[in-house]
Amino acid sequence: MPTINVTLYGDIAQYGSGKQLATLDLDLPQDANIGLLLERIRLPSEERGYLFVNSVLHDVPGLNASHNDPLKDGDHVGIFSISHMWPYQYRQGIHLSDTLKAALEEKGVMKNTYRE
Amino acid sequence: MARKILRIKMDDLSYKYEEVPSKWAKWGGRGLTSNIVAEEVDPTCHPLGPNNKLVIAPGWVSGTPAAPSSGRTSFGGKSPLTGGIKESNSGGTSSQKIAKLGLAAIILEGMPKDSKWYVLVITKDGVKFEEANDLLGKGMYEVDEILWKKYPNKPAIIGIGMVGEKKLSNAGISVNDPENKPGRYAGRGGLGAVMGARGVKAIVVDDTGGPGVEIANMDLFKTGRKKLTDAITSHDLTKPGGGLNSYGTNVLMNIINEAGGLPTRNFSAGYFEGASKISGEMIAETVEKRGGGMTGHGCHTGCIIKCSNIYPDEDGNDLVSPVEYETAMSLGSNCGIDDLDYIAKMTYQCDDLGLDTIEAGNTIAVYMDSGALEFGDKEGALSLFDEIRQMTPLGRILGQGVKATAEAFGVFRVPTIKGQSMPAYEPRAIKGIGVTYATTPMGADHTAGYTIAPEIAGVGGKVDPLSDEGKSELSLTFQAATAFIDSTGYCLFIAFPILDIPEGWAGMAESVAGVTGQSITGDDVISIGKEILKVERDFNTRAGFTAADDRPPEFMRYEKLPPHNEVWTVSDKALDEVFAWVNS
Repeated sequence: MPTINVTLYGDIAQYGSGKQLATLDLDLPQDANIGLLLERIRLPSEERGYLFVNSVLHDVPGLNASHNDPLKDGDHVGIFSISHMWPYQYRQGIHLSDTLKAALEEKGVMKNTYRE
Repeated sequence: MARKILRIKMDDLSYKYEEVPSKWAKWGGRGLTSNIVAEEVDPTCHPLGPNNKLVIAPGWVSGTPAAPSSGRTSFGGKSPLTGGIKESNSGGTSSQKIAKLGLAAIILEGMPKDSKWYVLVITKDGVKFEEANDLLGKGMYEVDEILWKKYPNKPAIIGIGMVGEKKLSNAGISVNDPENKPGRYAGRGGLGAVMGARGVKAIVVDDTGGPGVEIANMDLFKTGRKKLTDAITSHDLTKPGGGLNSYGTNVLMNIINEAGGLPTRNFSAGYFEGASKISGEMIAETVEKRGGGMTGHGCHTGCIIKCSNIYPDEDGNDLVSPVEYETAMSLGSNCGIDDLDYIAKMTYQCDDLGLDTIEAGNTIAVYMDSGALEFGDKEGALSLFDEIRQMTPLGRILGQGVKATAEAFGVFRVPTIKGQSMPAYEPRAIKGIGVTYATTPMGADHTAGYTIAPEIAGVGGKVDPLSDEGKSELSLTFQAATAFIDSTGYCLFIAFPILDIPEGWAGMAESVAGVTGQSITGDDVISIGKEILKVERDFNTRAGFTAADDRPPEFMRYEKLPPHNEVWTVSDKALDEVFAWVNS
């Protein structure tokens, strides 16, 4: 059973019994993925901002590109609230997951958020 | 009343008001400081000698009624740190007061023949030169307090600490905030030493009875102001309770760390295990827990973003304002220090001594890298400020910044470009910012290239927004947009809402057009910004800069940065493309 280390940043830390910061170790099934992790911590999609797995960006505010991305034992996941900013010039050229890269190529514009 | 230039000559303690020449009439803020410096300062002069000048200019919209978040003051001159042209801007109280006195710029030139120090008191009636020898050796907290007691109407105080008095290359220029604290800095590039070289300890600006700012087209100004205000107050990042308002600029600490791009232990890693302990989220928790300090603090009257904070000590008393992301990186992760209380104490020392926090922290990190101090030694790091305060030989070296300290202590990992150390984004992990660090005329500067909307930049469409392609063109576009915004007087953080809300972008341009009477729309922003960049690049070329100065430090080409274990891979050719148009 894989154990995933999760840190929640901002007001979503309440889903991990924190105020602005919360860290959890979650035991998930063998076929765990990000969607399952979000379900387990009961974090609504509309409250999720940037999401990283092991220093690789897997999702951005308003997109749900990462839900089928698998997780393995020992992974670290960092999840931010939607109010967290990350100006484009400070993220240009960072590591992206393949699924996020494909989703962003389809969108084709630079946005701080993809929320409607 | 048309704007005037106030020229102050320190060699004979005289001043005069000049009409703004037509060639400069279109400029404000950075556009004006850079044009004046480029024309009046010999690019080959010594930055501390008699031929350099300090130019101070509010932006186009500063001092106008209710222009949102428009309190930036530009300071320009030849930089002692980079040897090139420098514009460094600050929040605080000075911009609006200078503008309301009807001034487009203040030019400070010459050096006192009597070697005395002066406080310049600028009011609607002119300039008084008052001897300041009693202020020498005093920190900016005490200087601000003394000057507010001495002069009425809560004036703006522009000043330098002891580091500026000694003309060291990491001397910044302080501007007081509305509570008369000195934490607003035009920190980068050593312009505090240029002010010190003029024999000026402080400038007091009282706008009482001033003529105010002339607005050419009030209806257009109001239209633009409303569009921009609506964009700022509705965007997730800048609205009340949004990211910047809740966590300040230090909202970026954990994000950049999670991305593997947080400078750590003198740029030897991109991930710091103690990042969350020094983040904006932790500041918010600390403020709540200690019952003192505050988040959502405004650095100047009329700011509607309010990204500043006041950090409280353990007893809930105000310790320092602000603790920003760049500061928490340089004095924190880059020194291996994960204690916010110590970062706040060191920030206080920087603000009091007159040091740029980015350069100061990175300097300590280089000193640690030499083996003279362990990474993470917070007591040892704090004690280094005593060395600077006492101006010991070590303190003088540290006060000169990263490059000088690396040379003095035999360190090869020197995170500088054009002599200025890098801010809080590791270019091996975030390569786009590296292109801007390398090529901006200012030296490594995180504010030199802010994002604008792709449809305005003309580089959008189906370009992969996060690929390696097109970085040169994007960097140039971002640098041009930033040069424009730096000329407006608006805070750069308006860039976030106007990226996502096109009406905000148009509103910014319309408000400038309304004030100045110039025909400016959103479509003109990039071309105007490029005019400024061209002037700045030309100055640097005349100062002797070449393509070799547009390069990141060598160690980044071969030292792999954990956790992604990447080196700098952007080609020199791509870097040279950014400003190829200037020379063609």
